[in-house]
Amino acid sequence: MNLKFTYTKLLRVIFLMLILLPTLAGFTYALLYSFGLTGLLSEGFTLKHWTETLSDFYAWKSIGFSLMIAMISVFISFWISLFLVLKLTKDFQKKWFHRLIFVPLCFPATVMALYVLQTFSKSGFFSRISYQLGFIDQIESFPELTNDAYGIGIMLTSVLMVFPFFTIYIKNIFDAEKLNEYQQLSQSLGASSLQTFWKISLPILWRKSKLTLMLYIIFVMGSYEVPLLLGRQNPQMITPRIVDKAQRFNLQDIPQAYAMALMYLGVVLILILVTSASFVQFFKRKSDA
Amino acid sequence: MLKRTIHLVLITLILLPILVLMMLSFGEQWIFPDVFPQNFNTKTWLKLFSSDSEISKSLGLSVLISLSVAFLSTLMAFVFSKVISTSKYKNQYIKLAYLPYILSPVVLGVLWHYFAVVLKLNASFFGVVLAQFLICFPFGFIILSSFWSRHIYDIQNLSFTLGASTYFSFKRIIFPLAKPILGLCFFQCFLISWFDYGLTQLIGGGQIKTLTLSVFNFIKEANIFLAAIASLLLLFPPLLLLFFNKKIKFKRSLINTH
Amino acid sequence: MRLELKNISKSFQQKPVLSSVNLQLNENQVISVLGKSGSGKTSLLKIIAGLEKPDSGDVFLNQKSILNKKVNQRQIVYLFQEALLFPHLNVFDNIAFGLQAQKVEATEIESRVKAILKEIALSDHSSKFPLQLSGGEKQRVAFARAIIIEPQVLLLDEPFGALDVETRENMQKLFLKLIKQYGISALFVTHDLKEALMIGDQIAKIDHGHLRTYQNKKDFIQDEKSGVKEEIDFWTKIQEFE
Repeated sequence: MNLKFTYTKLLRVIFLMLILLPTLAGFTYALLYSFGLTGLLSEGFTLKHWTETLSDFYAWKSIGFSLMIAMISVFISFWISLFLVLKLTKDFQKKWFHRLIFVPLCFPATVMALYVLQTFSKSGFFSRISYQLGFIDQIESFPELTNDAYGIGIMLTSVLMVFPFFTIYIKNIFDAEKLNEYQQLSQSLGASSLQTFWKISLPILWRKSKLTLMLYIIFVMGSYEVPLLLGRQNPQMITPRIVDKAQRFNLQDIPQAYAMALMYLGVVLILILVTSASFVQFFKRKSDA
Repeated sequence: MLKRTIHLVLITLILLPILVLMMLSFGEQWIFPDVFPQNFNTKTWLKLFSSDSEISKSLGLSVLISLSVAFLSTLMAFVFSKVISTSKYKNQYIKLAYLPYILSPVVLGVLWHYFAVVLKLNASFFGVVLAQFLICFPFGFIILSSFWSRHIYDIQNLSFTLGASTYFSFKRIIFPLAKPILGLCFFQCFLISWFDYGLTQLIGGGQIKTLTLSVFNFIKEANIFLAAIASLLLLFPPLLLLFFNKKIKFKRSLINTH
Repeated sequence: MRLELKNISKSFQQKPVLSSVNLQLNENQVISVLGKSGSGKTSLLKIIAGLEKPDSGDVFLNQKSILNKKVNQRQIVYLFQEALLFPHLNVFDNIAFGLQAQKVEATEIESRVKAILKEIALSDHSSKFPLQLSGGEKQRVAFARAIIIEPQVLLLDEPFGALDVETRENMQKLFLKLIKQYGISALFVTHDLKEALMIGDQIAKIDHGHLRTYQNKKDFIQDEKSGVKEEIDFWTKIQEFE
């Protein structure tokens, strides 16, 4: 019994090491590098790289741009999914529908980005159709939907990838929380269907799904392949920017890449701490123990 | 009428990507403003089956890496999820397991690169498997944690009181009951590995050419026809499973595991 | 004596759950243990089965301490509140499980399982899966699965709690019949006064971790705290009212 207890304890420690050690090691190395304490061109402790990174307008712009793209994508996906769940409630029991909604989940980000590129770019499928139908008279007249300044292509791809997840997820909440019964109850108490939606369905849904929505915002924020194929240099999303800097030939850029990576991680952590009360509680409880 | 329209839009939205990729994979020369490629033939597809084709090599490598990662992650996640399930701090452990996701695998890849070089794991098969494992394992752990419920422990205890040894109980009760969720976990980990680009590119230094890397390379070379074929190959395994295996459902994806 | 508990105590996070509990169970005897939820009854059964360790005290089976014996070697079966049938095994394999664990020969298993299926009137259901059974049928299978291995002691934790009145009465009758037939000693935990009186040869009562065993049913009925008096009063008053 005692032996088993020790064994369990040991395995838990190994688990923590597997989860935390790689992250913390990377974190520490990046910290040392960004303060000039290690690396090929290290000249001892310096705040140079951090002052440069923190005052770099483009770094902040990248983070802001990433956050904006993520929030808009998740917002649009959420409403599309909610719309589908409300309008097509009965279809979810049908086999064909069930399978159809799962199809986009089989798409890697790279492939979805390739599709969007081939379909929505100026020389893409839709541009050619528009030309043949006479909507545009030259390739330049087709609106810029990929590699554009607003990240439309990136958002389009993100929405295509996220909305099926949300649809299944929201449908699960509807079933698990017996939302249909609450809706009926509310209507039998005299509420209109619009009132029922705003006062009953949406609040319950929000309460259940806000953590997931936040996770997805962070998830989209950190996406890499999609902005690599569909983004541009300015504004650039944060992940490709970090990788770009880290892989430059100019060795001076590397400490800044690490500083930027840490900055991004900091922003993400703050985002989590601010949005999720349960995480705050979690750290409180941890420090008590 | 409204329903019909929604159906139509949805079907187009979902199936158009596959159709466009199919069209490109059989195409040759696609000059603006033609809606369809000038020629349709199987030339590009046939290249795939020639022995020295780069795509088929990538395909083999991808399969090998993803199977290794999925197997390793599922096995370890199963063991550790059991060990953690009896802890008072179970929920805290689970929250920690979200860390690699929240911190973005690609950013972690940047941070890990140095260690991969020091450990001589960069540009190696094992380095890529290890890096992907470090991402998949926490995810598998989150999935499998939901298996070790009070109910499962009650069932296990009951089997003990009926005289079953730990091994017998595992073989006859726990493993069969865990099979569906183990399958799901394996499949999800396989997909994470199968879909990965950033981490493989960073740790593999471009040397470990998986299918996803091939797609990227073809796009960079502006060879959209080969890129389309590689993409379809990437889509193939998950689609196959979706249509032929009713048991594995994506029900518990990243979004609803907690 | 089949089972003996000596001074069993147990607490969780400084809260006492059982305070020096003593109990003696003879061969072929059934003791009903009356207790509300939170009285410590589940802990008591788990300690006897070996699923929990007591802080102090000892458990004897046939005069030998079994405290250090593993759960699967105690020959004490614990039936949970739920039937807890193995969902992936059919009725036959569920019942055969304990015999298979003991590596009993397949032909013998088959004849023994068939015999007991007849006793519980589920012969036609042997290849059905738990999901296809009603609540009462599940309990019958769970019960057969336990007694087929002829355990030294059978522990039952409110086994009929979730059943409707009629099914419950049928189950009580079946239980009494089979337990005598297979010569099984059992502790039967319930919160239902009538059920306790009907099933137990002897009655015990557990309250806030203290266990009291009554010499015989008469003692129990005469005890003011047993609750029997209130029950009788209730029915008398109803009659007077009419």
